[in-house]
Amino acid sequence: MSKKRILIVDDESSLTRVVRLNLEGTGRFEVRVENHAVNALSAAKEFEPHLIVLDVMMPSMDGGDVKAQIRRNAKLKTTPIIFLTASVSPSEAGNGGFTSGGELFLGKPVSTEKLVEVIDQQIAAQSPDLPPVVSPPETRASA
Amino acid sequence: MADHGTTPVRQLLLVEDNPGDASLLRSHLSDLPGQRFEVLHAITLRQALDSLGNRTFDLVLLDLSLPDSQGIHTFSKLNEAHPHLPIIVLTGFESEELASEALMGGAQDYLPKRDLDSRLLGRSIRYAIERKRGEEALARERDLLYTIIDNVPDRIFIKDKDSRFLKTNRSLARRFGLVHPREMIGRSDSDFFAPEHAMAARQDELKVMQTGQPMLDKIEQETLPDGSVSWVITSKIPLLDPHGGLMGTCGISRDVTDLKRIEQELAAERNLLRSLIDHLPDYIYAKDDFCRYTLDNEAHRRLLGVEHMDEILGRKVTDFFPPALAGQYDSDDQAIVRGGRPLINHEEPAVDRAGNKRWHSTTKVPLRAEDGRVAGLVCITRDITETRQAQEKVQRANSELARSREELMRALTDLQASHRQLKEAQGQLIQAEKMQSIGRLAAGVAHEVKNPLAIIRMGLDHLAQEIPPGSAEAQLTLRDMREAVQRADGIILGLLDFAKPRELNAALQELNPVVDHAVGMIRYVARQSKVRFVRDLAAELPLVWVDSDKVKQALLNLFTNAIHALETGGTATVKTFAKTLEPADIVGTSDSRITHGFHPGDRVAAIQIKDNGPGIPLDKIRNIYDPFFTTKEPGKGTGLGLSVTRRLVEMHGGRIDIRNRKSGGVTVTIWLACGKQV
Repeated sequence: MSKKRILIVDDESSLTRVVRLNLEGTGRFEVRVENHAVNALSAAKEFEPHLIVLDVMMPSMDGGDVKAQIRRNAKLKTTPIIFLTASVSPSEAGNGGFTSGGELFLGKPVSTEKLVEVIDQQIAAQSPDLPPVVSPPETRASA
Repeated sequence: MADHGTTPVRQLLLVEDNPGDASLLRSHLSDLPGQRFEVLHAITLRQALDSLGNRTFDLVLLDLSLPDSQGIHTFSKLNEAHPHLPIIVLTGFESEELASEALMGGAQDYLPKRDLDSRLLGRSIRYAIERKRGEEALARERDLLYTIIDNVPDRIFIKDKDSRFLKTNRSLARRFGLVHPREMIGRSDSDFFAPEHAMAARQDELKVMQTGQPMLDKIEQETLPDGSVSWVITSKIPLLDPHGGLMGTCGISRDVTDLKRIEQELAAERNLLRSLIDHLPDYIYAKDDFCRYTLDNEAHRRLLGVEHMDEILGRKVTDFFPPALAGQYDSDDQAIVRGGRPLINHEEPAVDRAGNKRWHSTTKVPLRAEDGRVAGLVCITRDITETRQAQEKVQRANSELARSREELMRALTDLQASHRQLKEAQGQLIQAEKMQSIGRLAAGVAHEVKNPLAIIRMGLDHLAQEIPPGSAEAQLTLRDMREAVQRADGIILGLLDFAKPRELNAALQELNPVVDHAVGMIRYVARQSKVRFVRDLAAELPLVWVDSDKVKQALLNLFTNAIHALETGGTATVKTFAKTLEPADIVGTSDSRITHGFHPGDRVAAIQIKDNGPGIPLDKIRNIYDPFFTTKEPGKGTGLGLSVTRRLVEMHGGRIDIRNRKSGGVTVTIWLACGKQV
């Protein structure tokens, strides 16, 4: 089974570095990091990830805007996105993350174990049988 | 023909010294038909007088020539001694002079013995007795008349044609200070009165004499020369002789000065009264026993719209007032006439001539005749419309005042309430502002701290993979580091929770299921800590407006505290009950800041959590609501639980009270107002 491509967009390079190390350390993911939100779309177009981990608060552009750009792209329209945020309340910071406005959030700090679990869930829910590089036909709205 | 049975026997004294004459006379007397006599014979005057002194006689036959008395002197003596006894004088010689002297002196008859026969004697005796009786009667009447005339207080006078007094009585003489009426005879009014009165009196008398018509009951003023004035009522009639010839006048006058004075006084009083009645502004009127007007004053006439009293006399209220009013007035009048009880200051509606409504205060009293019977009524009525209007105005003003006062009081109460609410709102605003600042701070801190924590956490995961599996100390260190990250994250989360703006999603619901659910949520943790939760929930509890999630969150915080307090296990009790607050519940709390909004008499639903742990140290109990204040050992609490819990309770308009129990442990009580929407 080929590795899933994960794009991580976060301005905190220290964080993206260890996240990449940990994900790649599992041997199941191919990770690309983008520390500049403005480059997130081109990175995604080029990398065609199975899933994008997106920071919410970034200096140049926030996670919501990045997501909107990505969703406008036909190929990336249904790519699962996990928001990673430092601004969550105790109830939001529950074990399984939380959804808000149809988006999946995970509160920082998060354990590698938790992140991998959520990534697996999202990718499985997306379409486990389709080739990762091919955009699926219209299936359903993002999780 | 003499009837001896009925004919009275007359007692006769025969005074005759000549036995022959005496015998002859006796013989004549016995022959008289229809007359019987018992005759006593006296020879001397002395004998005669003695006999008359001893008994009563009807007649004396007296011879003037007696042994002890002669001539007319004999008669005079006897007549003086017995003036009422009829005496027939007998004489042996004829003397016209003597006869006339005797007759003038009062003898009844004079008979010459020479011509005497029984018939003449009989007739003379009968006439003498009858005449004497007539004279006596006349004399008695005359005496009576004079007695009356002289003793009546009225003044009686007889005047001749020239108005000179012929006769007056004592009363008139006394009027002029004279001792005897005869002192006035021959004098006239001008001798006694002032000239003007004398002249007027003379004129009256001339008229009476000329016309032959009497002047009756003329009331006139008499003025004496000394100026003193008196009033008399005088009648004068013409005085005629037996043949109808004019002799003068006869008059009688009565002094009515006192009466006149009384009359004048009465008139003055009447005038005063009349003037008073007429000029009083009140309506004064009187009615007879048929309730018809008999009198009124000017004010009353103006009310009725008439000018003269004649226009009201004999008329009734029905002639002047509308039927409804008149009916009531008349019924009042009738009640007074029939019942005799007065009506005092009776206030009644009325209308004036222009038809305006007025108010009258009327007093009606029964008017009684001398026999005590109610003969009518006297009334006085005052127009009190202005007074009444003024009273009504005052009353209106008073009630207006009272209303204004009430409104003011209400406004004051509202103001106080508003003030209280404003204070509360101000407090809430300050609190909200505070929370907002803390919230902003917390959010900033959270973002800045959570990223490093995330790096550390991920870094730890990475390092864990790099460390050889046998390196136990390193693994332990990594685990402690992970826990430290988690604790730091917990504090940040608590801070965020504390500062988070909240909205209540309240519904009116039962409290027990909420408590039940919260207890269920903590059960697992409690069991781990060997803490038993006992529920003591009220069978019936009023519904309350609550956001069940927030109440649960508050309860979970409190349960957690209880579990932490019962370190080595124990029992916590959760109780619900309803209560009406008493003054003691409001005061005497450890923290008065949280009692606002509740008053004695308020109905509340309460949740009470008791533990039998060590209680709160006394030096700490004041600070338990302060954020980040905790009595727990490091790692067990964030110091934000009670702050958050208190906020949650206060958002419900509720109150939380935390105190140490005397028997040990802590009691936490939450009050929620029953039925009060939040």
